[in-house]
Amino acid sequence: MNPVPAQPVALAAGDALPVRTFGPLTRSDFARYAGAGGDFNPIHHDEPFARAAGVPTVFGMGLLHAGMLGIQLARWVGPDHVRDFAVRFTGQVWPGDTLTFSGTVDAVDPDGVATLTLLVVRQDGGVVLRATASAQAA
Amino acid sequence: MDLEHLAGRALGTVVFPVERGKLRELARALHDEDPVWWDEDAARAAGFDGVPAPPTATVLAAHWTPGALIGRPLELGLDVARLLHGEAAWSELRPIRAGDVLKADAEVEGVTRREGRRGGTMTLLVICTRFANQRGEQVAVLRDTWVQTAAVAP
Repeated sequence: MNPVPAQPVALAAGDALPVRTFGPLTRSDFARYAGAGGDFNPIHHDEPFARAAGVPTVFGMGLLHAGMLGIQLARWVGPDHVRDFAVRFTGQVWPGDTLTFSGTVDAVDPDGVATLTLLVVRQDGGVVLRATASAQAA
Repeated sequence: MDLEHLAGRALGTVVFPVERGKLRELARALHDEDPVWWDEDAARAAGFDGVPAPPTATVLAAHWTPGALIGRPLELGLDVARLLHGEAAWSELRPIRAGDVLKADAEVEGVTRREGRRGGTMTLLVICTRFANQRGEQVAVLRDTWVQTAAVAP
């Protein structure tokens, strides 16, 4: 892994976030994030509750894979240089899923502010998260 | 239940410390084991003036909010069995460091209703939270969209 940059990094249109694949995710990953992030919605850890709510099993909280994407974005552009980070949850993450995190720079304006598009995709091609971000580049 | 009357309602303030232990737990949960996210010496060696917080670290406010992360949507009357997190959008205004003490002010920014794809009505609730640090500087604004999915026909 590259060191987390303290200073802005050079970014140009077309640059890609180093792609990371992570998985298979387990119920323990969901439990660990529940404790870390304070998300105790029972649909993410309580099997009988989840089935009663009409889903086959518990699924991961969106802020788990959003957080994983965010920390990878910060590792790329520097945590002090992320300006905006907006995520939309478009699909569920199930136990056993493997996720691929990717992103590209769409444009860099004359002030050096880069706009980015990022995705989190399941092993079956389903998009579970779409994100946009902006970052100050060098 | 009609929730549109909630638009504009203030949801109160929580004050919470950005603790290294919670940052360490968050980084581990996000599967990034770099000590820069929790160790002062590692952060300084990397050129930071303190331990930096990752972009979604404002979630730590949930530990200090009544009912934790989903406390507010439930307190406002959303049904836990139909509750989903739809969107989250951060404006990061200033760096956040371990040791900061943040004040988070939340309000209901809007409530909209939409026809569900399989009938019934979905409700979208936007909660805006503004975070300031111990020096009174605005550090982040977060907009969470909570979705109450359409009721399933019996």
